[in-house]
Amino acid sequence: MKKINSYNSRPLLFLFLICIVLLTTLTGCSSAKADSKIQITFWHEMTGPAQVQLEKFVNEFNKSQNKYTVVPQFEGNYNEAVQKILNTHGTSASPAVFQSMDISTSQIYNSGYTTPVQKFINADNYNVNKISAVARAFYSKNGQQLSMPFNTSQPVLYYNASLLKKYDITPPPVDPSYSDISRVAQQLYARSDKKVKGLSVEIYGWLFEQFLANSGESLANNDDGHSGTPTAVNFSGTTAMTTMKWIQENIKSGAFMNYGSGSNAPTNEMAGFLSGKLGMFLQSSADISQLTAGTEDKLGITYYPHPDGQKSNGVSIGGASLWISNDKSRKVQRGSWEFIKYLMRSQNQAAWQAATGYLALNKDSQKEAVLQKLYQKNPAARIPSQQLARTVPNNTNSGIFMQGLIQERTLTQTAMEQIYDGKNIKSSLQDAEKQMNSYVKSLNQANK
Amino acid sequence: MDTQITNKNPQMRYKQRKEEKPLMATGLSYNKSKALRDRLYALIFLGPSLLVLIVFVFFPMFRTLYLSFFLTNNLGKPTVFIGFANYISLLSSSAYLHSLQATFIYVIAVSCLTLTLGLLLAQTASQKVRGISFFRTIFSGTMGVSVSVAAIFWLFIFNPSVGMLDQLANLLHLPAINWLTQPGWAMTAVVISTVWMNLGFTFLIFFGAIQSVPSTLYEAAQIEGVSKIYQFFHITLPMISPTLFFVSIITLIESFKSFGLIDLMTAGGPDNATNLLVYRIYQDAFLSGNYGLASTESVILALIIAFFTFIQFKVLEKRVNY
Amino acid sequence: MGIELSNISKSYDNQNWTLKDVSVQIRSGEFFTIVGPSGCGKSTLLRMIAGLISISNGTLKIDGRDVTNLQPQERALTMVFQNYALFPFLDVKANVSFGLKARKMQSAQINERVANALELVGLSELKDRKPRELSGGQRQRVALARAIASDTKVCLMDEPLSNLDAQLRSKMRSEIRELQQKLGITLIYVTHDQVEAMTMADRIMVLHAHTVQQIGTPSEIYQHPANAFVAQFFGTPRMNLLSVHYASKNQRHLKFDSYIDYLLPRDIEDGDYFVGIRPGELEIHTADKANAVIKNIEYLGTQSIIHAVLDNDMEIRITTSKNNTFCLNDHVQIRATNTYFVFDSTGKAIFFNKGDVQNGYTDHKQEPANAL
Repeated sequence: MKKINSYNSRPLLFLFLICIVLLTTLTGCSSAKADSKIQITFWHEMTGPAQVQLEKFVNEFNKSQNKYTVVPQFEGNYNEAVQKILNTHGTSASPAVFQSMDISTSQIYNSGYTTPVQKFINADNYNVNKISAVARAFYSKNGQQLSMPFNTSQPVLYYNASLLKKYDITPPPVDPSYSDISRVAQQLYARSDKKVKGLSVEIYGWLFEQFLANSGESLANNDDGHSGTPTAVNFSGTTAMTTMKWIQENIKSGAFMNYGSGSNAPTNEMAGFLSGKLGMFLQSSADISQLTAGTEDKLGITYYPHPDGQKSNGVSIGGASLWISNDKSRKVQRGSWEFIKYLMRSQNQAAWQAATGYLALNKDSQKEAVLQKLYQKNPAARIPSQQLARTVPNNTNSGIFMQGLIQERTLTQTAMEQIYDGKNIKSSLQDAEKQMNSYVKSLNQANK
Repeated sequence: MDTQITNKNPQMRYKQRKEEKPLMATGLSYNKSKALRDRLYALIFLGPSLLVLIVFVFFPMFRTLYLSFFLTNNLGKPTVFIGFANYISLLSSSAYLHSLQATFIYVIAVSCLTLTLGLLLAQTASQKVRGISFFRTIFSGTMGVSVSVAAIFWLFIFNPSVGMLDQLANLLHLPAINWLTQPGWAMTAVVISTVWMNLGFTFLIFFGAIQSVPSTLYEAAQIEGVSKIYQFFHITLPMISPTLFFVSIITLIESFKSFGLIDLMTAGGPDNATNLLVYRIYQDAFLSGNYGLASTESVILALIIAFFTFIQFKVLEKRVNY
Repeated sequence: MGIELSNISKSYDNQNWTLKDVSVQIRSGEFFTIVGPSGCGKSTLLRMIAGLISISNGTLKIDGRDVTNLQPQERALTMVFQNYALFPFLDVKANVSFGLKARKMQSAQINERVANALELVGLSELKDRKPRELSGGQRQRVALARAIASDTKVCLMDEPLSNLDAQLRSKMRSEIRELQQKLGITLIYVTHDQVEAMTMADRIMVLHAHTVQQIGTPSEIYQHPANAFVAQFFGTPRMNLLSVHYASKNQRHLKFDSYIDYLLPRDIEDGDYFVGIRPGELEIHTADKANAVIKNIEYLGTQSIIHAVLDNDMEIRITTSKNNTFCLNDHVQIRATNTYFVFDSTGKAIFFNKGDVQNGYTDHKQEPANAL
């Protein structure tokens, strides 16, 4: 999941909204005049290079056929977009196809405002096996595909390979355990005369969820919501305890750098890494392009670390998926599906990864020239795709199918903040767990 | 009435008439129609603003109150009436009480510092010293700074890897402070930034007030041998007390409502140390979509602000009027 | 408590002088008035004496002590301001005791002084009122009481009556004068009002154009003005100042027309002169042979001020007690009496003639500069 989209753009939001209002009125006028194509309104929350690439896809799609015109509209950050989607449904302002973030999946599904893409997959006999299974699993319910995974990333561990070489430190293995990471962190901190911090784990609920996923532990009951609406959460199980203990040990040794939480944390973390003051950190695979462009140091990447003495279960994905609204005509819904199919083509997915750092979900994309070239230039760039490909989806690594995940992240982040500040691990986690359980209770009551 | 008097003194009758007539014949009906017309005029002139108030103030107010008694579903619609359960759960939630405490600390720190420093700067700038006008411009400078610019500025200063304070500490061989990731320091950092933001406006208002104190008051005191400090506390302060009162209320209410800097600098963290009431409302309503709870929090916040303003009026009003 | 000013000067840039070389010895217990038109530097001078403005040049001695560079509070004096400088948030009593309290005087002593001061100005009844509940005159009395309570022997007043209406002003004039006499204080009083200066002062200093024009008792100033400016500044209506060229062939005659013709008792040099005639020192008649036309009449009750234009186009003011005799545009005859002043072209008085008394009158200490 790329957080730049969900946090950083808030101050610019109003400016963007005004621009969009202007743009839509303008484009609305011209397209109404120009042709009688079916108009498909597409809401997204992409900024930066991803927005550029996405709009390129839209243009190409519009040119590639003469039945539909897709009109892209930027809707601000992920959180706000969810509220807008729910609030406009059934009005002429609502989108035909929209992008919504990973953790809103259950909420969007439960609103009943969408047509599951499974319907079109069946009608077209579309071969979904080409699309990454882990990614698909995140957005499916009872074997039915609800939405199409789109911008997708996985958490990985980045390390500064040049820095490790300079201090003569053996890099971590591709599939590292916690102690592998600790070892490198301690060595780096010690050998750099405490000038370089060894490790950083951003205070970020997504990373917390991934620790549990990677050791095969559910965060919510009813199999992380995949077999029924969750009624209780698990923040203080074995994995959470082990992981937090691992982090707290690293903090105590001085080798760990705490960049905090919120929108500034990843920015500061990246700045620290790029300026050679930080050796390793856990972050979204989507950061890869920024990390390679910003430094001459060689970038190293490994899989997400797992607790010692067990095999990694694989991590789930982050990002967002594409949904089709059911308040539009069948023709419009059909057009939306055609657009989604277009985006999932292997060459488009390859171009998407090359341009943005989000992973190509079409398995055929790996053979595309543009990705081959990328991997040749930077072999480490292959790691996230490999991690995605080797993961076998199960109930614990396919996301959490639950409403109120924003609250879950807020609470786990608060617990992490307390733990990073040296507070008792068990009580911090249990406190958050207690609050979440009461929240889940009233949530289920309100949404009965 | 006329008939009753006819057999009496004609002069008296005349007199009576003269007095009664305007009252009876035209007076009452005139008053009645005038009152009606006045009411109509009042309605015509007040109507538009009343409409605006109803649509944009009263309706949202009552809607908020209404929502605070409900659980809201994922579409933001009230579904289950729960009475005061939202209030009870909030007031018994340690996280909310923590926010309440953080808000009080923040508001008191910001208000006190803003008022004290603003006054200090204004007093300094009021001295007749060469080149003071340069400082007047500098002091009022933050008036023109937007929240986002201020946030960027302070984030740079507080940055843990490349920040100015960090480098300064490095230079002086002091332990580096993780300003925005340690609860106590984060609150300090946010308070500093807010006070800095507030200072320009506060300074300008205080400066204007101090300037308008007649200089002869100070001269009279000076001749009588009254010290500068005594002059400040016994002339300047009482003379600008209406301004002081105004600014203190504005500052208090504004700091209760602080949002921008919190959002941009700490997003309520770490460990909810800077999760002020307003920010919590934003999180619950616009991030979690929990409108019922957020409405409850809004009602509580409104009550708190009203209470503080009331206290301020009661306590300060007496000392202000002269 | 005599006050001695020696060559006191003020300049803010060392080039332009706001005040230049003011010297005077003010006697203990004297009511000394500084008078002049606005902008003449009289308030500046007072503030320099108070110590509120620094003295650029010269020395100031109070009671023989050099106080030139001392702080105001070290000069042992008090000051009353034009706007009273009362503290609006304090009641009358607290206003009067403000300075005493600040100096940490014992409260028994404060109470005694305050009560005494309020008694003197007749405000004992109103001691708990706030300034906004008082009239202008009462406020001024509070300011006086504050000055009294400070118990200094020198008091400075900066146009204390100019915010009051005319009636109250004349009442306060005598009150201030009485207080000054009773307390025996040395009072330096600044005003722009020549009537105040004339009626109150023991001695007057006339300031104009940054310099002292004349220092003297009211009658000296009125009878023997040092220059045309002083002559015109005192007396209502203003003295007539007629310009004339004199040549020895005129044989001592300063002639304006056949009825206004002064015979000088001695010879003067050829040149341009001004002749000053007070409006009361002219006679006005209805006669067949007229030399003027009435342009305006100001009726004042016991007398009238008549503005007339002589046949030679000179404008002239005359006061007369013959009311209701003249009308606008009447042709009248205006005749000179034998009282007049002669000023040279710079305005300096060189001569006066009063009926039988004549004087060369050139022995001033201060050289009048640039009068007119």
